[in-house]
Amino acid sequence: MDGKAIRHVLVAGGGIVGWSCAAMLRKRIPALAVTVLPVAPPPDALADRVQATLPTIVYFHNDLGLTEADTVVRAGSGFRLGTLFEGWAEGMPGYVHAYGEHGRPFGTASFHQHWVRAALAGEAAPFDAFAPAAALGRAGRFAHPEAGGAYAYGLTLTPERYRHLMRAYALHLGAIERPGDIAQVRLAGEDGRIEGVELAGGGAVEADLFVDATGPRALLRGALGLRLEEWGQWLPCDRLVMREAPPAAEPPLLDIAVAEAAGWRWRSSSPALATEGRVFSSAHEPEADGAVTLRQGRVAQPWLGNCVAIGDAAVRVEPLEWANLHLAHSAIDRLVAMMPDRDFSPVETWDYNRQGVAEADRVRDFLALHYRASRRSEAFWRDAAAAEPPPSLAHTLALFRERGRLPIYDEESFNRDSWLAVLLGQGLLPRAADPLIEIVPPDESAAAMARMRSAVAAGVPGVPTHAAYLSSLSRQAAR
Amino acid sequence: MADAPPKVNVTIVGGGTAGWMTAAALVKLLPTRCNVHLIESEAIGIVGVGEATLPHIRAFNERLGIDEAEFMATTRATFKLGIEFDNWGRIGDSYIHPFGTFGRGSGEPDFHQYWLRLRQAGHDVPDLENYSLACMMARLNRFALPNPDPDELTSTFGYAYQFDATLFAPYLRRFAEGLGARRTEGRIVDVLRDGESGDVTGVKLESGETIGGDLFIDCSGFVSLLLGRALGEPFQDWSKWLPNDRATAMPCRTETALTPYTGVIAMEAGWRWRIPLQHRTGNGYVYASAFLSEEKAAEALVAAVEGEPLAAPRVLKFKAGRRERSWVGNVVGVGLASGFLEPLESTSIYLIQAAITALLELFPDGPVSPVLRDEFNRLVDLEYDRIRDFLILHYHATERTDSEFWNYVRTMEIPDTLEEKMELFRRRGRVVKYREGVFLDASWIAVYLGQRVIPEGHDMRADAPDAEALLRAMETFRREVRATAEAMPDHRRHIETYCPMAA
Repeated sequence: MDGKAIRHVLVAGGGIVGWSCAAMLRKRIPALAVTVLPVAPPPDALADRVQATLPTIVYFHNDLGLTEADTVVRAGSGFRLGTLFEGWAEGMPGYVHAYGEHGRPFGTASFHQHWVRAALAGEAAPFDAFAPAAALGRAGRFAHPEAGGAYAYGLTLTPERYRHLMRAYALHLGAIERPGDIAQVRLAGEDGRIEGVELAGGGAVEADLFVDATGPRALLRGALGLRLEEWGQWLPCDRLVMREAPPAAEPPLLDIAVAEAAGWRWRSSSPALATEGRVFSSAHEPEADGAVTLRQGRVAQPWLGNCVAIGDAAVRVEPLEWANLHLAHSAIDRLVAMMPDRDFSPVETWDYNRQGVAEADRVRDFLALHYRASRRSEAFWRDAAAAEPPPSLAHTLALFRERGRLPIYDEESFNRDSWLAVLLGQGLLPRAADPLIEIVPPDESAAAMARMRSAVAAGVPGVPTHAAYLSSLSRQAAR
Repeated sequence: MADAPPKVNVTIVGGGTAGWMTAAALVKLLPTRCNVHLIESEAIGIVGVGEATLPHIRAFNERLGIDEAEFMATTRATFKLGIEFDNWGRIGDSYIHPFGTFGRGSGEPDFHQYWLRLRQAGHDVPDLENYSLACMMARLNRFALPNPDPDELTSTFGYAYQFDATLFAPYLRRFAEGLGARRTEGRIVDVLRDGESGDVTGVKLESGETIGGDLFIDCSGFVSLLLGRALGEPFQDWSKWLPNDRATAMPCRTETALTPYTGVIAMEAGWRWRIPLQHRTGNGYVYASAFLSEEKAAEALVAAVEGEPLAAPRVLKFKAGRRERSWVGNVVGVGLASGFLEPLESTSIYLIQAAITALLELFPDGPVSPVLRDEFNRLVDLEYDRIRDFLILHYHATERTDSEFWNYVRTMEIPDTLEEKMELFRRRGRVVKYREGVFLDASWIAVYLGQRVIPEGHDMRADAPDAEALLRAMETFRREVRATAEAMPDHRRHIETYCPMAA
């Protein structure tokens, strides 16, 4: 078996995704030689460019052996607890999709069923009032949750500084950087494999496995031929504009995503840098200067032969819900866990693709939910809300509507609390409350909910402001 | 708030384990939504399969508020940490499928990957069961309740029960009747249906009485009175993969240790169970009638049991498979009326429980909604289909060539879904992970390795630690597991202090 082991991996892509992949490969499988071709990520490589990240980044850093002294303090990152959505459903107040629990189960059913019963009776406080992360986020306060705590957090990166950190770390772990643009991808005969990559400055690199982290162009994986399954019918925005802005004095813990006439705009900010962006449909709005084209969808087979596409080379989605880097991290984890040998047995490739495809499709569902559950009068939004959802989302919505139940699929990126935050936040309600909660009288439910809500609110004042907390971390790191 | 909808009149056809579990759950958890009326006939015996259970039953009992010690004393139950499989890979082999983890069950990669790495490098590391607390407790006949602190080694196992199923149903009957379930004694002679919708409107008893209802739960057992017979829901026959279609059962006196696990011993044309209860040991031979006659099976069983027989051998007939749909119109099949999988992995009661859980969560609040019904069927089908593959694995992963039966199952074609899983394990010990489904990684790993499906490679992440340090850490852990198990009380002693049956 050892004779067939993969020894050398080439990672093409000099953005966050490429360097993160190189670092993780070296960290978890030290026997691999890893060469990085630092091809600059293009403007539409969103996993390399979007600031906001999901809570899974914390686990990724743990696996890498990186501490927050590096990933937060030195890289100029801030914490984030969720996103404030405004204007997605007319007549509804803005809502926070916060990370972590929204209420706690009591009696015979999950919390949200009690909430739904109260909401159907017109007596419910906003759903996010029961989420500690939403309360802290609105108040601009942050501290690390206790182990097994009630909330989770992601990071808001300063992308260029973070990329430098990841590059330095990958090199420290023994990855080799080989500068130069890709001149040509050389294929090996007819077996659908890559033999090597010829560089513009002369020379070539050969490897056993090729990781394509070059963004939507998919410079390596594309050479083997690929088919994109497009999602435009459910995710109708096809243009993106993004620009840097000076950071806020007090970095926010919640990013803001505001619905507009034919799309939405966002603002996020780390302590060092803010980003303002806009995503829209070119069919409904005139072109904007500097807009990049967004073809949302995923590659049918991210892994083919000896080449695996990661990041935007595999899945392209708008930054709504900030899943871009999360999907890349998840693919890197999967690659490291499933590292095959040079046989590239079809069953192993198939299993990798099965998981990646299922994961991407459920992220698509979650993003499509925001459009499907929107309520605005513009033509763009009317069409978006009327579009027939993909079958897996239709199944989710039908069950939710009927009974407030949420089927959880394999390879789900967003948990029940997240789905509920958006569904209930945008005003979708089940037809009726779950019969299972009937043995808890409504006034008992109401009292329990009121206690939880007060506890969430009472937990806020004792927590430091984001800026104060970051300063204390800096002082600790400097010690 | 709108007025509560009128109560649903639920008619349960058939007592037994499925019927009374359903009745108990409905009256306890949906008292404002349904009236429960159960019809059973004492003239029809209960099959009483599933004397051995899976850990999930504890959640069912807890949800109903059943006191564990009282329940165990009443059903003369013992604890169960897993299943011991003898003679499956080869005659003389023995392994345990534990209700627990190998290693501490935390971190990536899985513990068995480190073990594979060392074995493949030629190190003479002990069998994997030495690194599982559940396995070691079972081997040493020890038992103590698990520790809820996930950092403790003593949190790495779960447990189930081995109990007398003929005592479980009466226990639940008292519980359900105490909460308002109605019971009618009688044999059903006819099923009445609505001419237009085809829904069942009532059942007619031998006495002439007709009992109506809005929702009918078919717990009639193999005969599948409503789902199969009246509605004609087709049966998916899985006997080409699971050819066993008979069981000969015979209890005996317990002569050896009171084991905290179920014994499953491969035989010439099937397998034999050994389920130790407080007052006796249940035995049975599950076999394929195409390969063995009833007489030979009974002879083999009588010859194999450990103690004095307490009854004559009794034969049950069945066929592996499930109804295409378990919920059709206003009829929901629960238990054997909806499908059958042999009790090799103690799934009979689990399948009942899974159907009840789905029914509770999808309970109709008026006319049956197709969305809820389809979801019920999706959930139930998923359970059946995944268990099916797991059972087939036990037969297919064998090197036995000593009988026609084993030659057949060893060489038969298996479902693609299983073929892929086995190939992934053979490559580098990878187990396909699912979010739902009853058997998790450790179960698959135990059976694969226990039945000689040995991976060629391993997860490359397992190569990261230094070999000497890894060997030392594994040896330290093995000793800790052994010492922890040895410090626990004997299984019988634990039962005598915790939940002894009435003398």
